[in-house]
Amino acid sequence: MEILSNGVGEFRFTDPDVIRAWMRDHKRRDFVDKTCSEAEAIARFVKDGDYVSFDFSSFTRGPLGLIREIIRQGRRNLWYCAKFTLMESTLLAAAGAIARIDVGFMGLGDTLNRAVEAGSIQVTEWTNGTLTLRHLAGGMGVPFLPTRAMLGSDTLAYSGAKVVRDPFGGKPVALVPALHPDVGLIHVHQADVYGNARCFGPGVSPLETAMASRRVIVSADEIIDHDDIRKDPSKTTVPYYMVDAVVYSPFGAYPGGVQALYEMDFEHFAEYNAMERQGRLKEYLDKYVYSVASNTEMLEKRVGLERLNALRRRATVREGYR
Amino acid sequence: MTTTAAFTEAEFMIAQCARVLDDQKTAFIGFGMPQVAAILAQRIQAPQLVQVFEFGAIGSEPLTPFVRNTMGGPANCYRSIAWTTMNQIFAQAQLGLIDYGVLGATQIDLYGNVNSTMLGTDYLRPTKRFPGSGGANEVASFCWKTIVIMMHERRRFVPRVDFITSPGYLDGTPEARERSGLPTGTGPWRVVTSKALFGFDDDSHKMTLIGVLDGLQPDEVLSEMDFKPLVADRVETLAPPTAQELSILREQIDPARTIIGKTARA
Repeated sequence: MEILSNGVGEFRFTDPDVIRAWMRDHKRRDFVDKTCSEAEAIARFVKDGDYVSFDFSSFTRGPLGLIREIIRQGRRNLWYCAKFTLMESTLLAAAGAIARIDVGFMGLGDTLNRAVEAGSIQVTEWTNGTLTLRHLAGGMGVPFLPTRAMLGSDTLAYSGAKVVRDPFGGKPVALVPALHPDVGLIHVHQADVYGNARCFGPGVSPLETAMASRRVIVSADEIIDHDDIRKDPSKTTVPYYMVDAVVYSPFGAYPGGVQALYEMDFEHFAEYNAMERQGRLKEYLDKYVYSVASNTEMLEKRVGLERLNALRRRATVREGYR
Repeated sequence: MTTTAAFTEAEFMIAQCARVLDDQKTAFIGFGMPQVAAILAQRIQAPQLVQVFEFGAIGSEPLTPFVRNTMGGPANCYRSIAWTTMNQIFAQAQLGLIDYGVLGATQIDLYGNVNSTMLGTDYLRPTKRFPGSGGANEVASFCWKTIVIMMHERRRFVPRVDFITSPGYLDGTPEARERSGLPTGTGPWRVVTSKALFGFDDDSHKMTLIGVLDGLQPDEVLSEMDFKPLVADRVETLAPPTAQELSILREQIDPARTIIGKTARA
């Protein structure tokens, strides 16, 4: 295949046979209870230097409880996949957890932009769609997938994509390398103790993220009986053998919302926005992460039942999300 | 129709953007102002405008009042006809099923190339960094007709963008998009600003002034741009927001005025 141009961006790539062996050796096929605390899940499955991906966004069904635990445990040098990222990439950056970002779309406020301007965080350009396509390639076990996105743009020039001549039709086409995150973080509506997981409504790439990642942590707003999974299998988004840990995490997407369960907390985002603009994210992290031992303690002491109930009360649009 | 004298720049550009969206078409809708324009179009001349979003919602009829940042949530995805995911919806756009792409932009040039990545000459040390493409590159690459909606501010209209995040007609040479491998027959179609409406010349692919807001002269529009676009033989006069448009925007869609209250910066 004729290579017409190469993007100069640094990227992660893994031989598909290495991944196949990983999937054979590390993804348990037996039905074992994988529930654990968020602290245990992050301690066991997220290491310094890992490539971390997540689904879906910090406003909707994002794994914010898991992100806060990564910060609490002081992970460093992460390579973060910003395929649709807002608040959580900013918090990770403010905590000094991130060394590199694949963009996508990054940040809520200018904190991350300033870090890139200063050279303290390295960036490789992609797009939301091509990062998601890289997860699909990874999840399919193929080394790359073609796309007609990014062609002609500087985004491609600073990505890790290649432009080749389509060996069938002859036109230029972009190839994006498969991505295998070390860790995929996915917050879902429901999961059983084995990791069979359901999320309802639209999403970015919950299944592709689970398939592509070496280790998968699912946090779930509700734990459901395994028989419920078998009674309605068309609702299963992710099958259990892809999942390494299941964290029971009510309000695990807070301050984001989960469709039909609770709305996002606008007051919290207003507080965050103000603190971000004032350069006070350390203080924010002290309040919501470092000074509490867990997501539950944060919800109890920093948010409170009254506010949580109000967010539930506001989630009145339910149809379709079950 | 009667018009109301006082309106914001955002109200005009949203109304004008909504007017160019035909009914019974599919439209890829970006974050913020494009969402408000699409809802307005649905409530006036395009009730069967099929809105699609990068997180896979198809055909939603968003609940109002519009609330910023709830894009993936139940209000914006209300009464959809399908909920899919990102790979699925971008595949549909790449396949040719999506008619319009509606995007905001930080910076645009003569050939409709859009920058939402960085300012400066050294990519590694940008003078100003922005959040990046998001899904805009796919939308501008795949949709049949891309519409860019942006405040008419001089610094946003530059001869050549510092970074092509999302492709317009690239260097403007014949078939530049096709030669790069982009889908044939796609590209920027309209640029809607707070003062004017632009198209693109069929041959040169240069941005072309085709309409100005009632009360403005073409020169007042051109003087607020860092390059000289072409000017159509006949420049249309664009009506200010109508009473109907304003009442839907103010009473139904955005009573908090988070989007429609915006004004240009000097």
